[in-house]
Formats: sequence, C-alpha cells, structure tokens
Amino acid sequence: MNTAATWAEAALAAPLPTVPLPIVPLLDAVNITKSFTQADSRDGAPTQALKGVSLSVLPGEFVSIVGRSGSGKSTFLSVLSTLLRPDSGQLTYNGFDLTTASEADIDGLRHGDFAVIFQFHYLLPYLTALENTLLPFMRGLRPVSGAQRRRALECLERVGLADKGHRLPGQLSGGEQQRVAIARALVKDARILFADEPTGSLDSATGATVMELLGQIHKDGLSVVMVTHNEQYASLSDRVVRMADGLVV
Amino acid sequence: MNILTIALRNARKKWVRTLLLLLVFTLGVVSIVSLNFVSRVVGEGLEKKLVSFGANILVSPKSEKLTVSYGGFALGDMLFDVSYLDEADTIKRIDGIALRQNISVIAPKLVVMDRVQGMAVAIVGVRFAQEKQLKGYWEVAQGALPGEEPAPAKKAADGMHAASTPTPVPAEAGPMGLVQAAMAPLGQPKDTYNGNGVLVGSAAAAKLNLHVGDTVPLGKTHMLVTGILAPTGSEDDNVLLADLSFVQNAVGRPGKANFLEVAALCSGCPIDDIVNQLGAALPNVEIKTLRNIVEQRMYSVLFVKKLILSVSLVILLTGCSMVGISMLSAVNERKKEIGILRSLGFPRRAVFSIFFAEAASVGLLAGLIGYLAGFAVSFRILQALDMAEGATLPFEPLHLAATAVILALLTSLASLVPAWKAAAIEPSEALVTL
Repeated sequence: MNTAATWAEAALAAPLPTVPLPIVPLLDAVNITKSFTQADSRDGAPTQALKGVSLSVLPGEFVSIVGRSGSGKSTFLSVLSTLLRPDSGQLTYNGFDLTTASEADIDGLRHGDFAVIFQFHYLLPYLTALENTLLPFMRGLRPVSGAQRRRALECLERVGLADKGHRLPGQLSGGEQQRVAIARALVKDARILFADEPTGSLDSATGATVMELLGQIHKDGLSVVMVTHNEQYASLSDRVVRMADGLVV
Repeated sequence: MNILTIALRNARKKWVRTLLLLLVFTLGVVSIVSLNFVSRVVGEGLEKKLVSFGANILVSPKSEKLTVSYGGFALGDMLFDVSYLDEADTIKRIDGIALRQNISVIAPKLVVMDRVQGMAVAIVGVRFAQEKQLKGYWEVAQGALPGEEPAPAKKAADGMHAASTPTPVPAEAGPMGLVQAAMAPLGQPKDTYNGNGVLVGSAAAAKLNLHVGDTVPLGKTHMLVTGILAPTGSEDDNVLLADLSFVQNAVGRPGKANFLEVAALCSGCPIDDIVNQLGAALPNVEIKTLRNIVEQRMYSVLFVKKLILSVSLVILLTGCSMVGISMLSAVNERKKEIGILRSLGFPRRAVFSIFFAEAASVGLLAGLIGYLAGFAVSFRILQALDMAEGATLPFEPLHLAATAVILALLTSLASLVPAWKAAAIEPSEALVTL
C-alpha cells in the first residue's frame, strides 16, 4: 500500500477544521492625531483636535460617529475621507497606506472608491441636477459618454428625482438637493461613503427620507461612515463610535 | 459635457460680470484695432504728404568743387567742368534696384546758365509730370505749367503744336497765340511733353519783368513763358523751369542730366538700404541722402506708431489687470466649488484649467468682437477725419484669428495667478468646518 496515497485519502476524508477567516478592514485608522492653530488663538499654540484616534471600517459596514460639537468627529471624518492629512498615525485603505500616498493616488481614490456628502449639499448652482450628478465624469476634456449619462439618470431615479434632472439646485428643496448630492456620490460606484451630518440642515421628515436612502445604499453593500448628532439616526447603523475631546470613548 | 462646461456655465451664470469683463476687454481691443487701422491710413496719408514735399535722395555725377547750388547741386563749376549723367541709363539702373517699389518719383534735371535781359539766370530743364509729383506745393499764379492747358479763357484752339526740337517762335504770333503754341498738342500725353514753354519762378519773374506770353532766349532759340509760379520759399523762385528735352536739345546735350532727385519714403522704409542699392547700381555716381529730411519724415511716422503702441500697451495692461482682479475675486467666491471638485477627485491641473478656460474664453470672444467692431469704428473715425475717401482697409481673416488667439493668450496669462491660487486650495480648507 502506498503510504502517501493513504495519507492523502485520509486527509481528504477528514472533516475540515472550522477556523474563522480573518476579516480585513476596508479602512483602517490607527492612532491618528491632528492639530490646528486657530486664527484667534492668543498664544498661537495649536489646538489638538485628534489625540490618537483609531477606527476600522469593515467592508459593507455602516459606522456612525457621534459626539458633541468640538469633539473632533468631523475632523476625523475629513482625515478618513482624505480631505485632511493627519499629523501622525496611519491610515490604510485596502492595505494601501494613505498617509504616504501621492496626491495623484489620493485624487484617484476620491474620484473612484471614496464618496463624500456634506451637511450642506454643495452642488454647483449653475449646473442642473443631472449635470451635478455627472460632475465626477467631467474632470477632463473627454465628453460624458451615453453610458455615464444613463448611469446618472439611474442614480437620480434611485433617489427619487428622475423627473427633476433638468432643474437647477435653486429650483429644488433642501432635501432634494441633498438627494442629488447622494446621487452624485453613487454615480461613480464608490466603495465607501463618508457622510458629514447629512441630515444636519434638513427638517426631521426630510432627514428621515435621506437616512432611509442611506440605509438602502448600505444594504446594497456600500460601506458608510456617518458623522451625526442625532442618536436616533446613529442607532440605524451597525456600529456607533463615540468621540469626546479628540478621543474615541 | 466636459470640464469646459463648468467654465462656460459659470461664465453664463455670472453673466453681468462676464459681460462687464467682456465689454471692457472688447473696448480695449476696439481701441487697439481701430487705432492701428487709423494710424496705418494716417501714416500712409502722411507719407504721401511728406513725399509731396520733395526728394530725399540726390543722384549726381562725382564732383570736387561746389560753389553755387540749386537743390543741393553745384552750379558754379558746372559751367566749366561738369560731367553729365545719361538720363535714360541712370533711370533704368535706378528702376533695377531691389527696393524700387519704395521709390515714388525720379526727377532728372539739367541746369544751364544764360543771360536774360542782361542778367544771369539759371534755366532748369525738368520733366514737369515728375516735378509736379515731387513738388505738391507748387501753385501756378498766372498761366499754366508748360504742357498743361491754361485757364478756360485761354483754352487752346485747334492747330496747337509743340516742337520736339527747339522751334523759333513765329514773330507774328500774339501773346495768347504764343501760349497756345507752347501747349501740348491734342492727344499727346502730358508727361511726354517737350515743347518750348517755360515756367518762371516768382522772384525771377519780378526781377526780369517776365509775364505770360513773353519770350526768353535760350541758345539759338527762344522759350515762351506759359506760367508764373507762386512764391514757394524755395530755390524754384529764382529760376526758369523748362522742359528737359527742350533744354537738352537747346544746349546740345540730348539725353543728358546734371542730377536726378529721387523721392523715397515709406513708414519704416530702409532708406540706407535704398542708398546702398543705388550706389551699387550707379558705381561712378554720387548718391546723397538728404538725411535730415528723411529722418524728420521717419521720425513723424515712427512717433505716431510709438504713440499707438504705448496707448495699446496701456489699454492691454488695464484689461489684463481687470481680468486678473476679477478672476482673483472669483476664486475667493468659489472656494467651496473648488473644494467640491477636489473632493470629487478633480486634480489641481483640472481646477487650474477651469479658471484658465474661463479667462481664455473671454479673451477669445473679446478678440473676435473687438476686431470686427474696431474694423467698423476705423471707418467712422476716418470719416470724421475726412480721410475715409480713398482709404483702403482690407479685411484679413488671418488677422482676425490672430487677434482672437493673442487676446485669449493674454487673458489666460492674466489669469495665471488666480488659476494657480484656485489650484492650490485644499478641499479641507474650502469644505471642512473644524
């Protein structure tokens, strides 16, 4: 009898061990610090906004960051979304170190995998809702393609604004403007959405609609990191991170 | 839709500012274009006027002694030891130089001395057609130029004739008959006139008591006074001017000339080059430049051009400053917009090109509108200056395109700092509330 063959057969016949596979975080922030010098500071001493914050976001996870004003949550979200460079610490996306990445790489990430929505919708006032949605595709001389246009229309339809694509932001309500901003974030098939107080400037009914929309997007597999004051909205997420004085508590 | 849509839509959205900017820049371009057009026409007109004041190059045989002069040519030694130029050959050689197109008039002259009523007087043989071109300031006080018809009252009757060789004047002819006899025959071109008429300078007419119809001896023949020149303040006042062929034949020197006056002028015309070329074409001949006149003429033309250039530069600088300031304030106003674009992954160069394209589009449009408007305004200005008649302003599409491109480049240049400032904005600076 062939010993090796016997060993292989035995191995194949044996039940597989049930060891859980390690889950690699999509976004990983470790010991992030950030300080600013306030313009009205008397002694010119910097204010430490983040004092060594760490957070991991798993693929498809919805994380809410809550905290009082001045707790550093918006600063932290800006660092996570690469809008702000940290003073120290390490930020990795899919294993790629963003703290040492080149500006071109960061631009590529913002254009591709990352999407940001703000408390104020920040739409370009002279472009229609459809054109604002198409904005990520307008960064070069190459004209927007038919496929991209169809994709933008789909996104507008998803946020319930299919019939308002031709309107300028000034002709839309606050909630509709925020939904256009969400459509703009969706249009490029991002993997992670950063939302900074997305309901902050909306009334409760409109805010609820926007949250419902974010929930649907999350269910579709998009990771969401949201900063909010609203505990009720935060409770809709998978995980709530609380911040105070530049630290996760 | 692409990145230019952002630039153009913003320009449309801020239409008041865009319009004002466009207006200011267009006005600048209109001023520059119309000033250039008008200066060109005025310069050409000035040149024509300046040319009418006389020659600026003297072509004469090489001579060592000069005592008495006329038009810069020595008369004293001429009577005894004067060499002559072959008129036809000299003109042919001048016609052959490369810069011939810059020569407007060639006026040959033969000067002889004779006695009239016991007084010595210079008789200058000239080609009246060329001489008139050269001396636009000539005015005939009485009678007419030899070869030209006198006033209607003296209109010539049939049977006019003019001799190609000196012809004794019929004794029985009265003063008017004599004048008619000195006129060109019908059908004969005036510039080839070679009759025996003589035009008397105002001072010479007074001194010699000559009137229209009088005869003046020359060698073995006589000349007939057809006209008295009004005072010119020049040497022409003291001489008698007759047809060159007539004088040549009368003194037995057919085809000869003492000197030739040449009028050459154009704005920016290389007068030294013309003189050099003449020197090469006429090796044993003296070429003199009446430099002060030339320099004065050139100075006038260049002064106008420099003035136009200075005004144009000031207008352009003002326009560019306005574009720069306007774009700078636009950058400050649109910080959030820039932040959005950067947060969407627009690289710095894309943000830079949006502002650059906005400025360039203003320049391009201002260049196109300004050139066309400037073209139209030029005609109005020339009409107001009574210079429109005969003025030629050719519309050149290439110039239109060049103006638009240059303006687009200038406005782009003016927007460099604001565009750079826009590109330097960090998204966090524009969007993040810390």
